[in-house]
Amino acid sequence: MSIVAKETIEVIAQSIGINNLSDDAALSLAPDVEYRMREIMQEAIQCMRHSRRTILTTDDVDGALNLRNVEPVYGFTSGGPLQFKRAIGHRDLFYIDDRDVDLKEVIEAPLPKAPLDTGVACHWLAIEGVQPAIPENAPVGVIAAPSNGNTHEQKDELPVDIRLPVKHVLSRELQLYFDKITELTLRKSDSALFKEALVSLATDSGLHPLVPYFTFFVADEVSRGLNDYSLLFALMRIVWSLLQNPHIHIEPYLHQLMPSVVTCLVSKKLGNRIADNHWELRDFTAKLVALICKRFGHVYNTLQTRLTKTLLNALLDPKRALTQHYGAIQGLAALGPNVVRLLILPNLEPYLRLLEPELLLEKQKNEMKRYEAWRVYGALLRAAGQGIYERLKIFPPLPSPPGHTIWKSKEKVVTAVPNKRKASMEPLEDEPALKKIATDGPIGSLALVTTLAPSGQNDAGQPSSSEKKTANRVGKDGQTLKKSAILNQIWKDDLNSGHTLVTLLELLGEGILSFIPSPEISATAAIVCALLSKAIDLKL
Amino acid sequence: MENMQAVNNFVAAYLKKKGFKEAEQLLEDLQNKESAPIDFHNDPELAKFIHRFSQSEDDVARYQDGYSKLRSWTYSSLDLYKHELLRVLYPVFIHSFMDMVAKGHLQEARTFFNNFREDHELMHSRDLQKLEGVLSQSHLEEMEFARSLRQSKVNIKICQYSYDLLLQYLHKTQSTAMLGVINEHINFQVSSGQPSSISDDAEVVTLIGSCQDTANQINQKEIHWGLLEDSLEERLEKAGGLLSDSEKTEEENKEGDADDTKKRSVESGKQGASTKKLKKEKALNATAKSARPEASTTPAAPRVKAKLPLPLMSTEVEQSILEDLRNRVQLSSVLLPSVSFYTFLNTHNGLNCSSISHDGSLVAGGFSDSSLKVWDMAKLGQQGGSSILQAENDSTSSEHVVGPNGGKRSYTLFQGHSGPVHSATFSPLGDFILSSSADTTIRLWSTKLNANLVCYKGHNYPVWDVQFSPVGHYFASASHDRTARIWSMDRIQPLRIMAGHLSDVDCVQWHANCNYIATGSSDKTVRLWDVQNGECVRIFIGHRSMILSLAMSPDGRYMASGDEDGMIMMWDISSGRCITPLMGHTSCVWTVAFSCEGSLLASGSADCTVKLWDVTTSAKVPRNEEKSGNPNRLRLLKTLATKSTPVYSLQFSRRNLLFAAGALSKNL
Repeated sequence: MSIVAKETIEVIAQSIGINNLSDDAALSLAPDVEYRMREIMQEAIQCMRHSRRTILTTDDVDGALNLRNVEPVYGFTSGGPLQFKRAIGHRDLFYIDDRDVDLKEVIEAPLPKAPLDTGVACHWLAIEGVQPAIPENAPVGVIAAPSNGNTHEQKDELPVDIRLPVKHVLSRELQLYFDKITELTLRKSDSALFKEALVSLATDSGLHPLVPYFTFFVADEVSRGLNDYSLLFALMRIVWSLLQNPHIHIEPYLHQLMPSVVTCLVSKKLGNRIADNHWELRDFTAKLVALICKRFGHVYNTLQTRLTKTLLNALLDPKRALTQHYGAIQGLAALGPNVVRLLILPNLEPYLRLLEPELLLEKQKNEMKRYEAWRVYGALLRAAGQGIYERLKIFPPLPSPPGHTIWKSKEKVVTAVPNKRKASMEPLEDEPALKKIATDGPIGSLALVTTLAPSGQNDAGQPSSSEKKTANRVGKDGQTLKKSAILNQIWKDDLNSGHTLVTLLELLGEGILSFIPSPEISATAAIVCALLSKAIDLKL
Repeated sequence: MENMQAVNNFVAAYLKKKGFKEAEQLLEDLQNKESAPIDFHNDPELAKFIHRFSQSEDDVARYQDGYSKLRSWTYSSLDLYKHELLRVLYPVFIHSFMDMVAKGHLQEARTFFNNFREDHELMHSRDLQKLEGVLSQSHLEEMEFARSLRQSKVNIKICQYSYDLLLQYLHKTQSTAMLGVINEHINFQVSSGQPSSISDDAEVVTLIGSCQDTANQINQKEIHWGLLEDSLEERLEKAGGLLSDSEKTEEENKEGDADDTKKRSVESGKQGASTKKLKKEKALNATAKSARPEASTTPAAPRVKAKLPLPLMSTEVEQSILEDLRNRVQLSSVLLPSVSFYTFLNTHNGLNCSSISHDGSLVAGGFSDSSLKVWDMAKLGQQGGSSILQAENDSTSSEHVVGPNGGKRSYTLFQGHSGPVHSATFSPLGDFILSSSADTTIRLWSTKLNANLVCYKGHNYPVWDVQFSPVGHYFASASHDRTARIWSMDRIQPLRIMAGHLSDVDCVQWHANCNYIATGSSDKTVRLWDVQNGECVRIFIGHRSMILSLAMSPDGRYMASGDEDGMIMMWDISSGRCITPLMGHTSCVWTVAFSCEGSLLASGSADCTVKLWDVTTSAKVPRNEEKSGNPNRLRLLKTLATKSTPVYSLQFSRRNLLFAAGALSKNL
């Protein structure tokens, strides 16, 4: 009969310690409770009007209770409007979404900004009845439309508030699917089932309604689970799969995804065990970032610039950990040779100067740190090499006869021998390196040495300045005289890339040469050497 | 004979039960005398009627049944008479409901109510909300609204033919329940001739507690609505007549310049506009001058003596006001005012009210955190140039850095209240502010000393509104305790207490001659009170929801009131009638203001607009001509929309510049 059910009264009675409330009493109390509630609401509306508002707030209800000398209801004066959620299975039952707050999080969170103080701004609403077209005034053309819209909202403000959370209704199947996937991600990301799930994510056509939930899930879990390596990797795989799915329109959610992805790339610590191969995660994420940029770079033209800016900041800040540097380099490298050339190469020299002490056994006693430094060095080398490789691929074919080049490379083998010897004094690196060298020429071995060295846990093969010198000399001795004709042409053709290469060579040693594409190796090597000689000549 | 006796007894019992004392008495007399026996004993029709009545006395289904039949009959009646008959439905509806509740059939009452409430939702939603909660006999008695409904009869004007139709129907269907309700609660005022027009049903929509007759009686009282004798305006007119023309223009130019420089200092940063304005304003002044003699030919408002001892005005103040009056822009429907808008920023939903001083240089805001903040716009303008926001940040002026925190502030903080501040008002000269709060007190602050001077305690519940009188010194307050009170600055006790409203008094306003105050209430009426003897002299009935704002025309003849639904009503004070409703706003009308010569009405609303209305046409047309005229004489001249700022207060300066204020709110 009344909107307050008898059961409600019984529950309330029990909560204040009256266990044996008779049915009759409850029945006759119910309408009275409703009546009192209505009375209070009526006065709350009165308070609302006198606060010049059209939306009822908890303050108004407190004010109304105060009028009747009743203690206010504590715990609801949080300021913002209340968010109502619909109870599952009921059409018109709502509750306030009151989430558990972790006190630790609250304490650790940085202090929020102090709210701005109240101020008064003055403008002309009208001058002799005509509204001037200034930013403070509503645009003249659309005056009618928004005022109508406003009033509609005002009139049914509350229903709108309530409707918001349930506007997006998920089917039961999709909910189950989502739950299953999230559970797999959180618990069993190494199972075969998870792989199946990834495939499903990448191909199923009906998943679009879940995208906002997945993005939120990823963002949420990344921010919470930075210590859980396998979870992070699983999450990144999910992002990868979602990006692959041709039926999903993921663009509007990118802004939510990007922070978590970038976190997985340049975070200081990913995973809490030494065994966690966070390098791999970073490599994977770098690929992911590159994919995103490639696919959506043209839609969001600020995407790549913002991303590179973040990464470059991470790279150039000497206070950041080496792991962060590694992530930044990988990320930049994945974005393509142009990015490398524009952003990494100019900063290479100062950065290497910073890195060098970390690399040396004498200066950096912490093995872990040294290992990390070598990792970074390797990444840098690869990035630079890739950059130069792309550059050289577009070189015009050289006019010299093929036989000539073969001979040349052979000669190089000869000349490079001492160099190789030096390197191969270390026990671990030869076999795998040599196989590759067979085609690349011996100089490549040095590069492999440098890249392999860290994984082999040794600190040899590092191209000290003396080694560089010898290498340079070797090149000089071997080839200067023979290649002058080609040289001149190249000199004209691509002065820049030649220069780049020279600088790279100076900085990274011959390691870089392994990235020069093999068909052109001879020619380029020659060019490089020639360039070097010139450069050295100039320097000398 | 035995049978007859039984019938007799039954009729007597029935009449007693229904409270028809006179009829009962009459019946007794008749029986005792036995001289002229009524032949209801022998009339078989009537006997049957009464018989059925007795049988179905407690059958609640009759209400439901009868009402739905009456309803469908009304809806299918002739279009010409339909709206008259429809008026009957609402009182029948609520009284049927209350009858059912009173008889204890709560379940049925509730279903009945829900079945038919939609019909009346549009006109009476607030009443229905109140009644919906009534669930037992005790509630009916406790609730003032229900009690007053039960006690009084509703007056319905109806034409002869509609009345006959209704009677015929009731007789034919023998729907006794409906007949009973109509007999008991409706008082038909049958008029011969054509049915009245739809728009003329102001009295019907409001079911007021007090009897219509008393209201009519009150409204018969004499009212002296004229302006005060020897007012400044009057003096100005006399002085203007004495000055020769050449002198006048010379003086005018001088003052025009002075005016402009002054204005510039107040509103600096708007330089671009001011040069253009300068020229225009001069031109306007000239036209105003030429227009003035014409205006004086129209019958001037009668002069009345002040009933209150009025405070004396210093000569300097008098001079400055006179100067303002001389430089007043004469507004009309073709010449609209300039509007300067003060937007409160970062209020965090805490701004309850705002007030602007008469010259627009001071702006006060009352906040729900019990504080009152006052901004000096002249100082802001001087420092900040174009960007006032910046000025606020830069403001280091020592005068502004008051308050306990000593931080940089652009405003003066007044702390003292212990509850949300619901209203603030500047004295006419801007040297005092009054603020009223939910802590039941009113406080007087000095803007010169930046300090609290007096705390006025008297109300028992939150004070919703406080207003200075046009001459200062006196002020009126309105409260949740259903009274309005008159105070003077030098007494801590109220001078008068005006009691009579049936619900909260929500707003209060002084009449131009200070002899009357008007109060608007949640009982949907506006009342006019005599300040001298504290009597209610007018009741204005017609609003459909609570009244939020009031304004008096400067000539004292008219009053405007704005309500919660966005309706504004123009009232003729002398007759107590509504001239016409002004419809246009879609949400609460927070504020209304007349321009200084009374030709324009400005209204500010929660729908984020300021609307300007032309009220001259009606003001000039005499009462008897109005009837024949077009009902929509008062027309909307202009809607000025803000971006998303509900307009809290409006103030015309003495020179007819309109100031408006509101808090920017994004979540609208």
